[in-house]
Amino acid sequence: MPLDVQGTFVSQKINKIRWIPEEYIEANCFFTGSWDDDVNSIKVWTLESNQEEEDIEYPRPLSEFIVDGDVTEIQFVDSTKIAVSTSNGDVKLLEISVYDKKSPLREIHSWKNLHNFGLDQCSCTSLHILDGDIATIGEDGNVNILNSRRGEISYRIVGADSCSLHSVCFIKHTEVITGNLRGHMKIWDLRTNINKPAASFLLAGDEMAATCILNHPTQPHIILAGSESGSLAVWDLRVNSFPTTLLNAHSAGVTEMQFHPENPHKLFTSSVSGEIWDWNMEGMTKSTQGPDNQITTWLPLEEKNAMMVNSLMPPLHKPINTLHCDKGKIICGTDNEAVYLIKNFKY
Amino acid sequence: MNTSNQGSSFSRGNNTQADSNTKTFVLPDKCFEQRAACVFRSGNKFSIYPRSQTVSKAPVSIDNKILDVRQDILLFIPILRKLVNESNGTYISLQKAAEAAKTTDNQVEFLKLSRQYRSIIRVCIESLQESAAMEQDGVKKCNLLSYITIFYSVECIWHLCEILYIDNIPGDVVLPFLLEWVRFHFPCHEQTAAQMLEACERGSEDHPEYWDTVIGMIVQGRVDVARALMKLHSSVDSNEFKLVDNSLRSMPVYSVYGGISTGEFTISWKHWQAECRSKITSRVLTSQPKLELIMKLIIGDYAAFESIRGSYSSWFDLLGGWVMFTAPWTRRHELGAPAAACAGMATPTHAPRTHLDQMVRALLDGDLHQVIHEIQQISDNGWFATHLTDILFHCGKLKILDKHQNNVTARLRDSLILEYGCLLMEHKSLWSAGLSYLGSCPPEGLRRAELALERMPIETEAKAMRVIAEAKKYGLNGVVRTVCACASSRLLRAGRIGGALTWGTRGKHGAACGRAAHAALRQYAARGELPAQDALLTATPAMLPHHPLLLAVKYSDFHRLYKSREFKKAGKLLVSLITSKLAPDYFWETLLLDTLPLLESDELIFSSEDTIEIMLCLELKSSNLSAEKADLLRLAAVRNLARASLADEDNSNSE
Repeated sequence: MPLDVQGTFVSQKINKIRWIPEEYIEANCFFTGSWDDDVNSIKVWTLESNQEEEDIEYPRPLSEFIVDGDVTEIQFVDSTKIAVSTSNGDVKLLEISVYDKKSPLREIHSWKNLHNFGLDQCSCTSLHILDGDIATIGEDGNVNILNSRRGEISYRIVGADSCSLHSVCFIKHTEVITGNLRGHMKIWDLRTNINKPAASFLLAGDEMAATCILNHPTQPHIILAGSESGSLAVWDLRVNSFPTTLLNAHSAGVTEMQFHPENPHKLFTSSVSGEIWDWNMEGMTKSTQGPDNQITTWLPLEEKNAMMVNSLMPPLHKPINTLHCDKGKIICGTDNEAVYLIKNFKY
Repeated sequence: MNTSNQGSSFSRGNNTQADSNTKTFVLPDKCFEQRAACVFRSGNKFSIYPRSQTVSKAPVSIDNKILDVRQDILLFIPILRKLVNESNGTYISLQKAAEAAKTTDNQVEFLKLSRQYRSIIRVCIESLQESAAMEQDGVKKCNLLSYITIFYSVECIWHLCEILYIDNIPGDVVLPFLLEWVRFHFPCHEQTAAQMLEACERGSEDHPEYWDTVIGMIVQGRVDVARALMKLHSSVDSNEFKLVDNSLRSMPVYSVYGGISTGEFTISWKHWQAECRSKITSRVLTSQPKLELIMKLIIGDYAAFESIRGSYSSWFDLLGGWVMFTAPWTRRHELGAPAAACAGMATPTHAPRTHLDQMVRALLDGDLHQVIHEIQQISDNGWFATHLTDILFHCGKLKILDKHQNNVTARLRDSLILEYGCLLMEHKSLWSAGLSYLGSCPPEGLRRAELALERMPIETEAKAMRVIAEAKKYGLNGVVRTVCACASSRLLRAGRIGGALTWGTRGKHGAACGRAAHAALRQYAARGELPAQDALLTATPAMLPHHPLLLAVKYSDFHRLYKSREFKKAGKLLVSLITSKLAPDYFWETLLLDTLPLLESDELIFSSEDTIEIMLCLELKSSNLSAEKADLLRLAAVRNLARASLADEDNSNSE
């Protein structure tokens, strides 16, 4: 079956979108977080088919949770709990009922003004979760590690950056990597108490922000970062501090990246230029059959002709802010106040 | 106290002068009975505040209120925001199609986009209907129903426009399209007809609406359906019925592709009508007045049409039938006369002419100027006027002359788009849609966009980055600079020097960079630690000579060299910083004191010339140092000068 794209206008600019995972079956409900509006909210949606046309599914809102400020990130703590960061510096833990998705989201915990400029508000720009630990970053340049079970701040790096931080990712339990407005990437060891990064390197020489960071699901030493300029960088942390690959990908900033949860060779990227692409990364890796049959090296800069990139839908005239994929279904949220559902994706 | 009153609570005063364009609004609670003044704010907003012209000695108690008044924008309700966003997409595709149409004919593409607009309106009506059905609150329901009426007439007019100006009609023979329009928008009797045909019972004339339905089908031009219904009459086998059925069956139908010329068709059609007329005059149908009426209708008898006018709510219902039975070869720009005939039919109720009436009349008369004037009166905040004018303009069908016979079509289109774009720019979220309208209307639109973007509150860096990305798309470099400078000063206020510096360099904004650099130097002079070292080390001040940023960058480089124990290089840099006299007064003390460890180091670092330079600056700027520190420096400098002179002597001797 060919790809099936279908848009629904939702009267909110969507900044984050996430499928609510189901066991065994394709997800049917999702979260959206809005931004840049007078009132912003997190909504729960379900896909419903019309009586007349059975095969076309339309999203219908089930519940709404109003937040102050823009929603900047939504990540799952477990299958029913999400951590949400907002532009007024708060981080909230919200829970959705397993049995009745219509019932409103319940707030479990809230860290008020976790990121701040003293008395002034400052945006909590992103967060990342690894096994219940939440790493949050903000425009204040601080990194906080939160414990979602106990609801406390377990570790802080004050003044991690003199610039505002825009992306964060756990490399392992004891290490996080952050990216700032100028494209400086820093790796922090959470076991030490010195306020110095364990390593630092540049995304590109153009002083553009690192907008998102992602690590490879099966090869944790591989780190990808998306830039405000639209390029994509790949590092092999075992080798050196220079990106092994730097690709001029989108024509404007990369907004979100995700590996397909069931096929790590598939990468999705969305962009401010209104593009959503799927990458076949098989061409980028080269298997050198080592003793454990596992070692793969990433191709160096020059040999990227084997790359396969497809556009999942015709480019929009407004930025695509977010995407999320579950099995054969991909959803994305955009600045033209619409949600697009792409079905029948082969992975 | 600052009351923000959001417009909706104002009651609309009675408009006594019908033809004046002013509207009176009564302020709530009779506040400001003393005196009030008013200022305009951004966009469609203004503020009313109390102000007294007279100076009175006794303090007068006045309400300390400022009322913020803004226009209630219909398009900003959530359901209509979908319309705004979706139509924005179509608008952008239309501009691209228009660009392509400059080289090739693109009429089909325009028709597709026009249909797209109409389907957007229909979706919007559907969701309005849905939410009106769910709405409990009486007032809100009433509002929703009035929105439905508005968009219903919008779609009706758009459809007619599409037929008359955008669609590609073979031979311009408009009848089939006109009938389709009537059926689609004024579906009278359709359901009853379907029910009767489904039941298929002989003797359907007992149904109270039987004859109304049959005549309704005739008037809508559905002769086949009318004939099928007549077959259900119990006396269908009578001669009268057979006669009428025969007349209906033998009616010639005009088709461009029919293979006969208009002249030929006219002859056969006239012949057929004469035959029908003779049947009426032969008075064979007097026993069946309804059948006689049908015969009179199909020969286009004005009185007959007028007699049934009362059963229809508007004259549009009759228009299709009138054209069909009087002049089926009518071309699309010849509809003025039939419209006048239908609109002129006397109605028993004397219903006042509606706005829709006037718009349809103007449209059929081909007076697009009047049409646009009328549709601007629709209270949809200009959505319809803007998009319709735009598509007609690109189709090349719009030609509007001002009173001096100048062609002002492009100006009209631009002004509508600018107005609509500015309206959207006022909304917190819809600004990006508004920008794409303004961006399509250079150069005026871009100037307006610039003004609106510069005034937009930007609370987060994410928004700043997005605004900059959009501004760059339209080449608004002034906006980029302003936004960067604002972001920079916001961070500086929060004490984030590194961030402030980054935004300053991003916007290539000298003043913002300067402020950040000064802040960094001052903080060092006060606390002894240089902030934002990472940012300073990678900053590129090359394009900014004689600038505090250059000093800050070089100074942090000096620290780097000093820390890595490259004293020679560090010393050289420090002397160049001192001699360049870039430093502001507050920083001289720091700079001069930094020479002290280098002057006193075991290894000789400053040459005699360097030392003399340092001593010179020390004396020039000694007011910035305490006497004690100055003496200490003088001593060190003199000792170093002695060492350096000896070394120079050695060097020249060895030569």
